[in-house]
Amino acid sequence: MAEIESRLANCFATAFPELEPAEIPAVSMGSLASWDSLAGITLLSLIEEEFGIGISPDDAAGLVSYQLILDYLRTLSSEDAK
Amino acid sequence: MTMKLAEALKVIQSALPDAPRLEVALLCGFTPLHLETFLGAHLCKSFPGRSPNVQTGLYGDLIGNLQRLAGVSAAIVVIEWPDLDPRLGLRRLGGWEPSQLQDILGEVNRSCDLLQSNVAAAAQNIPLVLCFPTLPLVPVSFTALSRASEFTLELRSRVASLSAALSHLPGVRIVDPQRLDALSSSRRLDINSDLSAGFPYTLSHASALAEVVVRLVLNPQPKKGLITDLDDTLWRGILGEVGVQGISWDLDNHSQIHALYQQLLHSLAASGTMIAVASKNDRSLVEEAFAARDPILREADVFPFEVHWGAKSESVARILGAWNISADDVVCVDDSPMDLAEIKAAHPGAECVLFPSENPQAAYELLERLRDCFGKDKISQEDGLRAASVRANAELQHDIKQESPGASSDFVRQIDGKLTLSSQKQPLDSRSLELVNKTNQFNLNGRRFQEAEWQNWLNAPDAVFLAVSYRDKYGPLGKIAVIAGDLLNVNVNGLNSDSSGKRRLRIRTWVMSCRAFSRLIEYECIRWLFDKLDVEELEFDFLPTPRNTPMQNFLRQVRNAPAEPHCRLSRAQFLQSCPTSSHVVEESPNG
Repeated sequence: MAEIESRLANCFATAFPELEPAEIPAVSMGSLASWDSLAGITLLSLIEEEFGIGISPDDAAGLVSYQLILDYLRTLSSEDAK
Repeated sequence: MTMKLAEALKVIQSALPDAPRLEVALLCGFTPLHLETFLGAHLCKSFPGRSPNVQTGLYGDLIGNLQRLAGVSAAIVVIEWPDLDPRLGLRRLGGWEPSQLQDILGEVNRSCDLLQSNVAAAAQNIPLVLCFPTLPLVPVSFTALSRASEFTLELRSRVASLSAALSHLPGVRIVDPQRLDALSSSRRLDINSDLSAGFPYTLSHASALAEVVVRLVLNPQPKKGLITDLDDTLWRGILGEVGVQGISWDLDNHSQIHALYQQLLHSLAASGTMIAVASKNDRSLVEEAFAARDPILREADVFPFEVHWGAKSESVARILGAWNISADDVVCVDDSPMDLAEIKAAHPGAECVLFPSENPQAAYELLERLRDCFGKDKISQEDGLRAASVRANAELQHDIKQESPGASSDFVRQIDGKLTLSSQKQPLDSRSLELVNKTNQFNLNGRRFQEAEWQNWLNAPDAVFLAVSYRDKYGPLGKIAVIAGDLLNVNVNGLNSDSSGKRRLRIRTWVMSCRAFSRLIEYECIRWLFDKLDVEELEFDFLPTPRNTPMQNFLRQVRNAPAEPHCRLSRAQFLQSCPTSSHVVEESPNG
C-alpha cells in the first residue's frame, strides 16, 4: 500500500511541480488554484499511465483530492487481489 | 518505445526558460491537450538550445486557425476526419443514414478544397508539417467492417489526392503514414477521452505522432557519405577465400539482402550521397570482381576505393580527406564489430553500423535506417554533380601538388574557372538554405536558420544575398557558396547613419562548400561585394566553431590579423592582400 502512495505522490509532483512533497497528501482541487479541469485531466492521465488502469468518466468526476484518489486506487488494488 | 506522459512533462519542466524562444503552432480541430504536451517535450529534446512554446488555436476551427497563423517558426497541422465533416466524429450527431453518405462525400470534397487553398496560402510564409487522418473511420457506412465500402474508399481516395497535391508545395512536409504505423501500432482512438475532453488520441498514439511531426519540423540535414566494407557486406563471401566467382548477391545463393543493399547504395549515389569502400582485401581481386561480376553498385558510384591490408581507421581518414568532410557526416557499414570499434575509436563522430549478414530481417531494418540517415527533401542539380566533382577535386588537388610550392594561384588561373553570381532573394532557394545549414568548415559562425527565419530576414530591404555557382575545366560544382548580410550607412564615428557616410556591409552568414576549396573563390566573392555594392568596409559576424578553421585561416590571411567577432576588412586592406583575379565572373540573368 505504501508503494501506491509513493507512486501516486510522484504523479502529483509531475502534474503540479510547484507542490512541496509534504503538501501533497492534503491537496485537493479546492485548495490548489492550478488544479483546473485541464490539469485534472493531465493528473488522471498520469495516474492511468502509472498504474495501467482506465478511469471511467463517472469515477473521474469524484476524484478531486489526493486522499480520494488514494482510496480509489486502494479499492481497485484490493479488488484485483480477490 | 514512445515517450510517456510523465517523462514528457518532466522534459518540459526542465527546459531552460531563458533560452531563445522557438514558437511553433499546433493547428487542429480537437482539444490539443496531451498532443501539445508531447510536442513540447519532443521540441525541447530536438532543439536543446531553445525554449519551445507551442501555440494552439480554437477548438473545431481548423481552417480559421490556419488563416490566423502568424509569428511562428513552423506550424504543425493535424487533420482528423471530423475536420472534413463533423459527422465523421463522435461528438456531433448529424446522422449516419445511407442516404447521407453522398452528402458527406460532398462536404469532404468542399473541406478538402478549402484546406488546399488555405494550406497553400499559409505555406508561402511559414513551413508547415501536415498530418492527414490517423484515426479509424467511425462505422458510418452500411457494409460489414471487413468489407471496404465504395463510400470509405472514395473518402480515403479524396484525402490521398489532397495529400499528394499539397506535397508538391514548397515549405510543406507531409507525415508518412507508414512511418507512423511503425511507431504507433496499438490502439489509437480513446473514446472516453474524446467524449469527455474532446481529445481523441490514446497517450501512446499522441506520443508517437508528436515524435514523427517534430522530426519533420527539425528536418535534420542528411549525412553526406557512406563508407562500406565489401566481404559479407556489399556481397556474401570472403573474396580472398572463395574467389571472384564465389561471391554472391542473389536469391539462388540466399544472398539477396546484399543485392538490396547494393541497390540502395546505387540509389544513394544517384541522389548525391558520396560512397566509398574501405576493405581489407587484395586490390587486384576487388578490381576483377567489379569488372567481371558487374555489381548493382557500380565502380563509378564509388570514390575512393581504400583496399589494402592496413587499418580501417586509416582508410576512413584518407576517405574523409578526399571528400573533405568530417567524421560526423559519415556512416560506416561493416560486418566486423572489431573493425567498427577500431574506426569508432579513431573517428568518434562517425556513425558505425554493423551489417548483420546472417540476419536478413535485421539487415532490411538497416536499409531503412540508412534511407533515414540520408533522406532528402528533394534531389538538387548539385546532388547530380557531387560524385563527379569530388573526383575532379581530388584530381585538382593532385595537379596542385605537382606545381611548385606557392604557385597555386598561378595554377588556378589555368583551370578556366567561371563564377555565376545571383542576388535574387525570391523565391526561397532551398539549395542556398541547405548550404547554410549543413556547411561546417568554411562557415563564418555556424549559425543555422529555420526556413521562416531565413525568409523573413532576406525580405528586409537592406538585406543582401549572394549565391555563387561555379564551374571549371574539371566540371561544374553547382551552387557552392552563399553570403548574406545587411547594408549599413555609417558616419565618421562608425555608427549607423542615414546621412552621406560611407557604406558598410555586415556579413552575417557566409558559407562555401568544401568541394570548392583551393580555387580562390572566396577572394572573388569579396571582390564582387566591394565592386558591385559600393561598400568601403566589410564587417564579419565571425564566431569560432570547432570546425571552421578554413574560415579562420582565410580571415587571418586577408586581414593580416587573427579572426575575431565583428572583425572588419577595408577595401584598401583587401586590395593589398588579394591575388589577381583568377576567374571569369558573370551575374545570373535572373538577378
